[in-house]
Amino acid sequence: MELLIDNLAHGFSVALSLKNLSFALLGALIGTAIGVLPGIGPVATISLLLPITFGQEATTAIIMLAGIYYGAQYGGSTTAILLNLPGEVSSVVTTLEGYKMARNGRAGAALATAALGSFFAGSVATILVAASGPLLTQIALSFGPADYFSLMLLGLVIACVLAQGSILKAIGMVVVGVALGLVGTDVQTGQQRFTFGIPELSDGLGFAAIAMGMFGIAEIILNLERPEAREVLKTEVGKLWLTKEEFKRATPSVLRGTLLGSALGILPGGGASLAAFGAYMMERKMSKGRHLFGQGAIEGVAGPEAANNAAAQTSFIPLLTLGIPSNAVMALMVGALIIQGIQPGPRMVEAQPDLFWGLIASMWIGNVMLLVINLPMIGMWVKLLQVPYKYLYPAILVFCSIGVYSINNNVFDVYTTILFAVFGYMCSKLKMEPAPLLIGFVLGPMMEEHLRRAMLLSRGDWIVFVERPISATMLGIAAFALALMLLPNMRKGKDAAMAG
Amino acid sequence: MQLRINMKDVVSGLFLILLALIGLWLNQDHNLGSARRMGPGYMPMLVFWIQVGLGTAVTLIGLFSGPDPLEKWTGLDMASLALGVAAGFIVWAIATNLGPFFSQTYNGVGLGVLAGMLVVSWSAGWRKIGLICASMAVFALLLEKFGFFAALIGLIIVASMAERTHTVRGVAGMLVFLLVLCWWVFIYELDIRVNLWPQF
Repeated sequence: MELLIDNLAHGFSVALSLKNLSFALLGALIGTAIGVLPGIGPVATISLLLPITFGQEATTAIIMLAGIYYGAQYGGSTTAILLNLPGEVSSVVTTLEGYKMARNGRAGAALATAALGSFFAGSVATILVAASGPLLTQIALSFGPADYFSLMLLGLVIACVLAQGSILKAIGMVVVGVALGLVGTDVQTGQQRFTFGIPELSDGLGFAAIAMGMFGIAEIILNLERPEAREVLKTEVGKLWLTKEEFKRATPSVLRGTLLGSALGILPGGGASLAAFGAYMMERKMSKGRHLFGQGAIEGVAGPEAANNAAAQTSFIPLLTLGIPSNAVMALMVGALIIQGIQPGPRMVEAQPDLFWGLIASMWIGNVMLLVINLPMIGMWVKLLQVPYKYLYPAILVFCSIGVYSINNNVFDVYTTILFAVFGYMCSKLKMEPAPLLIGFVLGPMMEEHLRRAMLLSRGDWIVFVERPISATMLGIAAFALALMLLPNMRKGKDAAMAG
Repeated sequence: MQLRINMKDVVSGLFLILLALIGLWLNQDHNLGSARRMGPGYMPMLVFWIQVGLGTAVTLIGLFSGPDPLEKWTGLDMASLALGVAAGFIVWAIATNLGPFFSQTYNGVGLGVLAGMLVVSWSAGWRKIGLICASMAVFALLLEKFGFFAALIGLIIVASMAERTHTVRGVAGMLVFLLVLCWWVFIYELDIRVNLWPQF
């Protein structure tokens, strides 16, 4: 306990340096902005800003990128409540009750609930990350290569099970991602694989190029094809406060949302959107105000908004302790760390105490900042919504192009981005989810290494994966999850939950 | 079971199989090794065979899980796609003979991409994707020889053609704003190594 406080104190001393503080603020501001704007999400933004983080210290870079992710959870609710249009996927369910509240003249109350609920959830989840981090790390240090391999396999399977749409196609995308990760020099023999003699490919395909192409550029094209349906603001925001009765109704929902969100955030493939959906379903079934759902029930805003922010924070746990990304944003974080020369994994807590504790402290600081950014300054964000998309997309395009070029100062990366933009566009036309591909791409090379090491230690005997208890458990859970989802009834249930 | 074809799934499945077969074919160059000492070809082999299996499953299930047709692309869309791909390769092949500017860098590829994308964007269905990709190709082509500003101007002008409601005045305003913003962020603040003006 004392150690935890010492560590946290150290974290705060790192996070409170002027530089880290200002980058946390920058991240929170950018996050809120893209959260408010529909059509650009945290995945695209973080991949866009990856190249910019190269010149910074690792801690500063991660603090800023993290701020973007949880900042987007705050911003997304604003658009959802005021415009009935989700700024982020994770705030889709907030539109259901939040917009109704706004039409009843309680927009201010809904916004305040969302911000305060998020703040509470974010603070709790931050403590959870701090407490569980060192604990999980201890466990992870006893893992052998076989255990690691199985753990990553489990991560990939769960990411697919929880993805939207067909599971088989999601697994297919993971496998394509793993295959793309094979491109480049084989670490153990130095042989060039699938490089076609192109020198730029000997280090592997560019992570930023894939992410930007599939999430940034392909998104722009798809958004342009959809006619813009953004209404001019009609609702009055009103006073940003809750009545006593509203406060009483929202509190239990926030608590439940925080719990559920924290749990779902840790799951691989989980994260903010799943948590919000789950919390909404739970509130509709369990809360005292469930008969009011559909007419602007405050519980329907409080629960999901708390849950999505809690999940955004706790999804850092598997990344920071095991080095395993649980969703596409975390896959980007791995990319950012690796570029900085830091291998994410259980040794990170000890080897990079500044990064680990600084990030945790900055999460809490960032949540305080976001509360200020979102409540008193709401008018500014509402104005931002009036910028039409046709002025926005060239800016995104320009930033992506310069950003991806500046990674290696090579136009080759720009052409790779174009290729993956076309690929991403095609995938979306075929209803293939791009997020599992990114996770597969990041985990693929690590999995190969652990597989080879495990097989070398076992002298080529595959039984090692079921002999070791940890590994066997992971594989068992993975098989169980897959089997469950192949049952038609469970799949229907999942689809219903995803559709809100 | 009745045949109700889910075209999206069938095409996805076939695509997975195709990619995997190409991968397996390329993987012939790599030494497989044994399960104990895996060579560089072992993991790719596993991955691509799993992919073949998945692709087959997606295709077969797709035959009965529909109907979910593909988007309705017109004949013109298909024709311009085929023409665009052909034009891209032809221009690339020609460009590599046009002197060192095209043959010793990726500019030859870039010119091919640009030509192909412009041809593709001719039909209404591909207008947006064609022009957005073309705008990035313009950026890459201009950047090193003609400098940062020329590349940005080219990118923004081509990209704004993708949205018909843009006006000349709007684009001009946006151009000035973005040039200043990018100069400030990338040159002044981040100091990336790139030529600002044309090099001769």
